[in-house]
Amino acid sequence: MIEVKNITQSYGKNVDILKDINFTVRENCVTALVGANGAGKSTLLSVIANLIPARSGEVLIDGKAVAKIKTADVAKKVAFLKQSQHFDIRIPVKDVVEFGRFPHCGGRMKDADNKKVSDALEYMDLKYIAHKYIDEISGGQRQRAFIAMILAQDTPYIFLDEPLNNLDMKYSVEMMKIVKKLVTDLGKTIVVVLHDINFASAYADHIIAMKDGKIHKEGSPAEIVNSEILNPVFGHEFNIVERDGKRVCLYFN
Amino acid sequence: MEFFKKQWKRIATVLLFIVLVFFSLEIGALSGAGIRSLFTGAEMRALELEIARLDAIPTDGLDNAELLALIQEQRETNERFNQLYSQRAVMLHSRLPRLFAVILSAAGLSVAGLLMQAISRNKFMSPSTAGTTDAAALGMLMGVVFFGDLPALAQGGMAFVFALVATMIFTSVISKLKLREVVYIPLIGILYGGLISAVATAIGFRTALTPILMAFNMGSFARLGNFTLVYIVLIPLFISVMFVTKFSIIGLGEDFAKNLGVNYKRVVFLGLVIVALISASTFVAVGPLPFVGLIIPNMATSFYGDNLKKSIWDLMLFGATFVMLCDIISRLVLFPFEMNVTVTVSVVGGIVFMIYLIRGMNSGKRIRAKA
Repeated sequence: MIEVKNITQSYGKNVDILKDINFTVRENCVTALVGANGAGKSTLLSVIANLIPARSGEVLIDGKAVAKIKTADVAKKVAFLKQSQHFDIRIPVKDVVEFGRFPHCGGRMKDADNKKVSDALEYMDLKYIAHKYIDEISGGQRQRAFIAMILAQDTPYIFLDEPLNNLDMKYSVEMMKIVKKLVTDLGKTIVVVLHDINFASAYADHIIAMKDGKIHKEGSPAEIVNSEILNPVFGHEFNIVERDGKRVCLYFN
Repeated sequence: MEFFKKQWKRIATVLLFIVLVFFSLEIGALSGAGIRSLFTGAEMRALELEIARLDAIPTDGLDNAELLALIQEQRETNERFNQLYSQRAVMLHSRLPRLFAVILSAAGLSVAGLLMQAISRNKFMSPSTAGTTDAAALGMLMGVVFFGDLPALAQGGMAFVFALVATMIFTSVISKLKLREVVYIPLIGILYGGLISAVATAIGFRTALTPILMAFNMGSFARLGNFTLVYIVLIPLFISVMFVTKFSIIGLGEDFAKNLGVNYKRVVFLGLVIVALISASTFVAVGPLPFVGLIIPNMATSFYGDNLKKSIWDLMLFGATFVMLCDIISRLVLFPFEMNVTVTVSVVGGIVFMIYLIRGMNSGKRIRAKA
């Protein structure tokens, strides 16, 4: 279980990015963090994954403060994939996935590690390009390769920071379906920062709407996706329609 | 066949390496001092016995002719023994250490360049384009100024400290600069190195040590006295191989490394210490070998990719082969004298560096044209 307690974070002395954030990450759910640019979504995710320390407050993983757990052990609990990794680096897909085993084996792969890598490649349908360099494959394939790495990392919690960046609609939908499948098939707990509210509405089990470094409102898509809540969060007029039981925001006005 | 198709680059490099090792051991003014001289042990023992036997022959009762023949035989045996002995001595005390020095310093500088490139995520970083080598020279000079009487190890220590500090300053400044083109980084680095060596020249001038400084800056594999220092390179090389996966992960960025539980700052610092240790000890033992740390990692990663675990041995082999080739060239052009290896390495390496630089500029243009 991950609990976030009274987290605050700021750049410099005056610019507060996160103000007193409290919530509990729901297990076996896709939780979407939504909000306008600069609302603090990515920062919040980085703080929970212990990439940057919080200025005050604490994050508890299974009751233990994350700041007190060894980084190598945090890496066995939480995997974090950041937006747009600029990759001009020549490493084969399989080797990237093998990096995911690093927290477990420290670079010396054993049979069990190889099995996990091979399973992850199989699961993400990457076997046929396992030996290609990641700078030679398409954006969608590359994103899948990094998800495969995180699967090999074998953590119960997965944080994804804007995984749909630079992906077209087809790949974005494919990616969100994979995210959904990780929860239903493998029982992962996933927190994902999304820019497009429609993807959150369609695929998330739980939505946290952030505004100016605070949690504005959290709840199921049915509770969050309505114009009374979203208009102030994004500072924009939303027109919400319902189709086949899913809510869709029309924001081209 | 599949194996040969996949591995031909490796096989070719290994073959070239073996041929060059052979040449490196065979070329020299003293003929017969090559590899063969290592296998003359049996003959030398036989000659020793023969000398003892000839010495023990009683000379009473021999007539003049017989005595002359005996003396002649004794002289020939002695000469043959001395010849074998000196051939073997040249092999053991000059050519073999030289070969080790070439291989170790080249492999070391290649690994140093590779680590710098991974740490800074820039393909144009290397000890000779980040002020590291120049700082090592300054440190060595300071070592002479302050502890002139102490052995080379003290100079090596000073060179290490200066190289470490200069490299840390450069990498931290570079990471804060937002440069649009990666090719500016080696150019700034060369300017920075120029600044450091200007300070060294000024100090050399004030302390009347300019000739020593000039001698430092002319690399040679004939500095027999300092060769032992090059064996220090084995320690950082060993550490690099041990932590090679960590360095690969560092090369993918700070967030990526932290996600995998790698302590980014600590590994970067370890990398810089390794770089400084290698640069300083090769500088003290051999002198500057410019561009080796830049072009060899680029060649190795373009052939074998950026997963350093898979390319680190190839990288060392490439480096050793390249420098051995340069060393052999500098021993042959003025035969039986030899040229400074720095000259050969600079000329050959400089040309390759120019090619990489122009290619880097062109690819930069292409990227901007796309955007």
